[in-house]
Amino acid sequence: MRKKWSWFSIFNYTLLAVFAFSTLYPFIYILAYSLSDGAEAMKHPIYFLPRGFTFENYIQIFQDSTFLNAYVITVSRTVIGTSLHVFLSALFAYALTKKDLPGRSFFTFFIFIPSIFSGGMIPNFILFRELGLINNFWVYVFPFLFSFFHIIIIRTFFDQLPKSLEESAQIDGASNFRIFMSIILPLSRPVLATIALFQGVFHWNDWFTGAYFVTDEALRPVQTLLNELLTESEALANAAQRSSQSGTTVSSGLINVTPESLRMATLIIATLPIICIYPFLQKYFVKGVMVGSIKG
Amino acid sequence: MNNVEMDKDLYTDNYSVQNKKSLWLRIWQHRLYYLFMLPGIIWFVVFAYIPMYGLTVAFKDFSFVGGITGSEWSGLKYFKEFFNFYQAWDIIRNTLIISLMKLVIGFPMPIILALLLNEVKVLKFKKTVQTISYLPHFISWIVVVTILQRMLTPYGGPINEIIASLGFSKIQFLGNLDYFYQIIILSDIWKAAGFGAIIYLAAISGVDQQLYESAKMDGANRFRQVWHITLPAIRPVMVIMFLLACGGIMTVGYEQLLLLNTPATASIGTVLDVHVIQSGLEQGRISYATAVGLFQSIIGVILIIIANSISKKVNETSLW
Repeated sequence: MRKKWSWFSIFNYTLLAVFAFSTLYPFIYILAYSLSDGAEAMKHPIYFLPRGFTFENYIQIFQDSTFLNAYVITVSRTVIGTSLHVFLSALFAYALTKKDLPGRSFFTFFIFIPSIFSGGMIPNFILFRELGLINNFWVYVFPFLFSFFHIIIIRTFFDQLPKSLEESAQIDGASNFRIFMSIILPLSRPVLATIALFQGVFHWNDWFTGAYFVTDEALRPVQTLLNELLTESEALANAAQRSSQSGTTVSSGLINVTPESLRMATLIIATLPIICIYPFLQKYFVKGVMVGSIKG
Repeated sequence: MNNVEMDKDLYTDNYSVQNKKSLWLRIWQHRLYYLFMLPGIIWFVVFAYIPMYGLTVAFKDFSFVGGITGSEWSGLKYFKEFFNFYQAWDIIRNTLIISLMKLVIGFPMPIILALLLNEVKVLKFKKTVQTISYLPHFISWIVVVTILQRMLTPYGGPINEIIASLGFSKIQFLGNLDYFYQIIILSDIWKAAGFGAIIYLAAISGVDQQLYESAKMDGANRFRQVWHITLPAIRPVMVIMFLLACGGIMTVGYEQLLLLNTPATASIGTVLDVHVIQSGLEQGRISYATAVGLFQSIIGVILIIIANSISKKVNETSLW
C-alpha cells in the first residue's frame, strides 16, 4: 500500500522534527564545546563539531579535588537518599493496602493534607536549624524521605498484585515481613524503578539545599558547584572573551583550557548519568505519571 | 477522589467479618503494619506538621534564641510591613503576570504536542521524538540556565553568531528587560512540554477507535475528528490539569526565577517565592519572610478552591 503524504503530514513531521532538534541541539553544542580547546572555542564560534578536539577539559576536571569531592557528595546523597526513600515508602504503602487495618483512611488523610498545604521554605529552615541539619550531610536525605504521591503510586501497584500469592505464602508459614521482602518487593520492580528514577533525579539535580542550607564547601554537591560556576563565570568568561587571549587561560602544553570550557565539561558530567538512564525506564515512568495524576 | 475511597473503607469495615472482633484485637493483629508505617508517621509529623505549626512565627518576633514557641507575639506586624513595602504590589503583579503567561501560553503546549504526536503514523519517528522530548524534564534548572547563558551570550554564543552573520547587531538576551519574559516562558515550555504531554497521550490512546471509524464514514476530516472526538474525550484530564495549574498561580517556579532574575531585571522579575527566599534565607528576616510565604499559600489555596467549585458547576469535573 502506498502511503499518502498530505500537506498536513509534511507540516506535522517537519514541525516535530524541528521541535526534537531544538530540544537536542543545546546538548550537542555543549558536548562539542566541552571537547574543544578552550582558547580555540573563544576565538571561533562552535556549532556542531569541537574546535581543536581534546579531552583535556575532562582530564583537568577529574584531577580537581573540589569537583571530585562534590561528585562524591552527589553520588552518596543520591544512592542513600533514593534507596531509603524507596524502601520506606514501599513499607508505608504496603501497610495501606491492608483493607482491614484500623485507621487506614485516617493515615491516608494524614499524609494527604501536607500535599495541599505545607509550612513552606522558612519554617522548614527553622526546623532544619533546630534539628542540627544545617551544614550536615543528612540535610540532603532526611527532608526528602517520603512523598504522598510516591506512596500512592506504589500502593496502587501493590493493590493490583494478586492476593492469592500472599495467601499461599501465609499458608506456607512465611511471616508477613518475609512476604513483603521476598514476594511483594521483587514483583514490584517496575514501580520501584519508577520511584527510584523520580527520586534519584531529584537528588541528582537538587542544587537549592546545597546553596541555602549548607555553607561548608566540603559538603557541596555538583549542582551547587555548577551554580557557583554560573555566577562566577559570566563575568569571568566575558572578560576573557573581550581581551581575547588573556591570562585567564590555563595552558597545559599546546592545549588551552578556559573556565568556560571546564564549565561545559562539568555540565556534561553532571547530566550524562541521567541522560543514559532515563530512556530505558521510559515504559515504567510513563505508567507512573498516569497513576500519579489520576490518584492525585 | 479521597472521599470516595474513605467511604469504601467504611463500607468494608462495617460489613467485614473482622469487625466482629474487638478493635484492640484487630490493632494487635496488625501491629507489624503499624511498625511498617512508624518511620513515615514520625517523618510526616516532624517534616510536614511541625513546619505547619512553624507558620505561627509569621505572627511573632522570631529569634533563634526563643525558637518557635518562645518568641513574643507580634500580631499582624509583618503582614503590614509587607503591604507597606513600596515594592510589594510590584512583586505580586510580577508573580501574576508570569503565572498567567505560563498558564495561557504554556498550558496548551503539551496538549498540542500530544495531538501532533498522535497524528504520527511512523512509530519509530514517534518514539524517537517522545524520548527526546522527555529529556529536558530530567535536567536541573542550573543546567538549563547554564545552557541558556552559553547559547545566548553575545561573546561567541551560537545564536548571536548567526544573528551577526545575517548582518544584524548582537543582542544581550539575558539580564535584559526586553527579553526577560520571553526567555522565562520559552525555557519553561522547553523544559516541561514533552513530559507534560505524557498524560494527554495516555488519555488520547484511551479513546474508542470506533468513534473515529464512524466519523470517517460520515465524511469528517482529521481536523473535525480531533475537534469533535479527541478533544471532548480528553477534556476531563485537561480540566484536572488546569485546576492544578490554577492552584499554582501564586508559585511561579522559584528555581527558574531565582536563577534567571538578575539585578537588571529585578523590577519585573522579582516574584513572591524569590522575595521570600531573599528576605528570609539571605537577609535572615525570618518572621517577615514567613508572613509573606503564608500570604502566598493562603491565596493559592483560595484560588484552587474557587477554580474547583467553578469547574464543578460548569464542567462537572473537579479535584474533590
